[in-house]
Amino acid sequence: MGSNGTGSSERLQRGNTFSGRAWLRWLPAVAAPAVIAAGVLAGSIPASAGDPLPARTPAQVLELLASHQVHSFSGTIEQSSDLGLPELPAAGKTAGPSPAGGAASVIELLTGDHAARVYVDGKDNARVQVVDQLAERDVVHHGNDVWFYSSKDNSAAHLTLPAHTREHARPDAPQDKPGMPTPGDLANRLLAKVDPTTAVSVGPDVAVAGRPAYNLILEPRTDATLVGKVAIAVDGHNGLPLSVQVTARGADKPAFRSGFTSLSLEAPDASLFTFTPPPGSTVKELQVPENSHLPASFHEPGLAITPEELMAQMAAKGRLSVTGKSWDAVVGLPAQASPGSPAESLLRDPLLSQAAVAVPGGHLLSTALLNVLITDDGRVFAGLVPPERLQAAAAAAQ
Amino acid sequence: MPSSVPADTPHAAARTRSGATPRRSRFSLLGSELKVLFGRRRTWALLLALAAIPVLIAVAVRLSSGVAPGRGPAFLDRITQNGLFVAFTAMLVSVPLFMPLAVGVVAGDTIAGEANLGTLRYLLVAPAGRVRLLLVKYAGALAFCVVAPLTVGLAGAAIGAALFPVGPVTLLSGGVVQPPEAFVRILMIAAYLAVSLAGLSVIGLFLSTLTVVPVGAMAATVVAAVVSEVLDQLPQLEWLHPWLFSHYWLGFADMLRQPVLWDSFGSNALLQAGYVAVFGALAYGRFLSKDILS
Repeated sequence: MGSNGTGSSERLQRGNTFSGRAWLRWLPAVAAPAVIAAGVLAGSIPASAGDPLPARTPAQVLELLASHQVHSFSGTIEQSSDLGLPELPAAGKTAGPSPAGGAASVIELLTGDHAARVYVDGKDNARVQVVDQLAERDVVHHGNDVWFYSSKDNSAAHLTLPAHTREHARPDAPQDKPGMPTPGDLANRLLAKVDPTTAVSVGPDVAVAGRPAYNLILEPRTDATLVGKVAIAVDGHNGLPLSVQVTARGADKPAFRSGFTSLSLEAPDASLFTFTPPPGSTVKELQVPENSHLPASFHEPGLAITPEELMAQMAAKGRLSVTGKSWDAVVGLPAQASPGSPAESLLRDPLLSQAAVAVPGGHLLSTALLNVLITDDGRVFAGLVPPERLQAAAAAAQ
Repeated sequence: MPSSVPADTPHAAARTRSGATPRRSRFSLLGSELKVLFGRRRTWALLLALAAIPVLIAVAVRLSSGVAPGRGPAFLDRITQNGLFVAFTAMLVSVPLFMPLAVGVVAGDTIAGEANLGTLRYLLVAPAGRVRLLLVKYAGALAFCVVAPLTVGLAGAAIGAALFPVGPVTLLSGGVVQPPEAFVRILMIAAYLAVSLAGLSVIGLFLSTLTVVPVGAMAATVVAAVVSEVLDQLPQLEWLHPWLFSHYWLGFADMLRQPVLWDSFGSNALLQAGYVAVFGALAYGRFLSKDILS
């Protein structure tokens, strides 16, 4: 470092200014957090949309939802659920995803917090990327091919869809078929059907992923269910459902929330929908089950079938017993001797068996929204109801 | 340096950063700072220690019988198929402790080291100005934040290529990229980590202005990193997590997705910028108002 003559006088001068206005030096240290706090506050206030959405009745919002024509989009979906399950280490973020398959991976997806990137282009191209820490799970649907990939163990699975399944999976089926009721008719019919059990209303507009949206609110009219409120945000301009929130009875925060955090309506890049298993990966060929448990109409968009009809159809298949109606329904599964029975696989899973508590007559898996009772003789009862109702249903079915 | 003398009025340096005239001297100050920093044996020892991580990993995997898929840290099981994964594994392994350790040593030493050696007042006697000295010191620490992840990544790629076959790299999304593109991804991760460490190094800079004992500032900086990482693991403190400077450190894997997920890079940059603003201002307040006796 070179030095020169002005140095010492500078120091003296500076010394004086320092002692006089030392507090000024700390001004930025106060200002910086204040500015950041102000910025955070400003960012957390939902940006008010330029034009408020025109007021609509629940039927009109349902019609908008049913008639939406958005078939190409990409976006990020974030899901968080606070179901009241114990915080298990295996469910933690650092544990990463569990290997593909099994009840645990489904439960793991439904509980906890997840983010996924979704790409959809028409009815034949879709890709979902579940973004885990240091890992990723992908589902790629292209034409008749469905690929599953998990980066955790570099494993892939392939499924060839039979042609008829695709027909049912068409998201825009109602518009294609002549003679089908218009979305408006459907909306009114559905509303009339659910009215005895559910109060449907439109809440104040919300903003989801920066888009103004109608907030369709479904409230069960019965006290016998754990569900307090279901809120569905419907894009105010194109009718795309943007988020779903389920709030437990008596809770003020949603127990389950899933919705877009960003959304683009442009068609995604076509290369996203091609998938070849990477070198070194293990590939498993999956078979489509001969008789799908789900009734055919399950694949239709939500308006074509009500939960009651679905329950009735599933009960008609003889595998399920359903007691109660709509919100307080209890679904029962008979005991099965085969090793792959649902009760056994539920209890054998380490994560679930830890979470289950012993109750008179069996084990109970209790969450804020859903209770599952596994009886000692291998039957399974589930419902959006308090545990007592499950036990009563189990006792009644004996 | 002498060329800048006419421009250096007593307040010039403290008053403004944007003045055109002191620029040359600032750059020469920065140049000499970088020369001192990277001419130090300690800096080289730190970088060598970081470069040893991928070498150890590669040699261990080479000598062992292979890693079962899904075992060990992410990417470890891919190394035998593709040497470039040594770079990813090494960067992953070094993020939680080794890099904060190295950055803590460099950032904690910035001001306190000079004070400890008794050279700080000579630096200030020269017409440098305290603000400029602070900026130059921080720039030096940032330069180390850039070099440290690069060292790990490049050493990893080199040792991986030497011991294992190199081929197309499988990304987290299941897609495959050719080695040149994979090399770009390594550089992107290094950039991500450099940004990630900016917050920690500004904390080190601030702590360094508090003391004349460099070891104290270094240790405190490393402790800050560890505390932040521990807090990030506690589910009870979930509301705090997005505010911890280490929160996005492991998010660099988003550079390995197809398409690249830039969200975490953006959030991370914003978070680190916030830390730079807050602790930079604190360091400014402390450094400009303290009496420099050594």
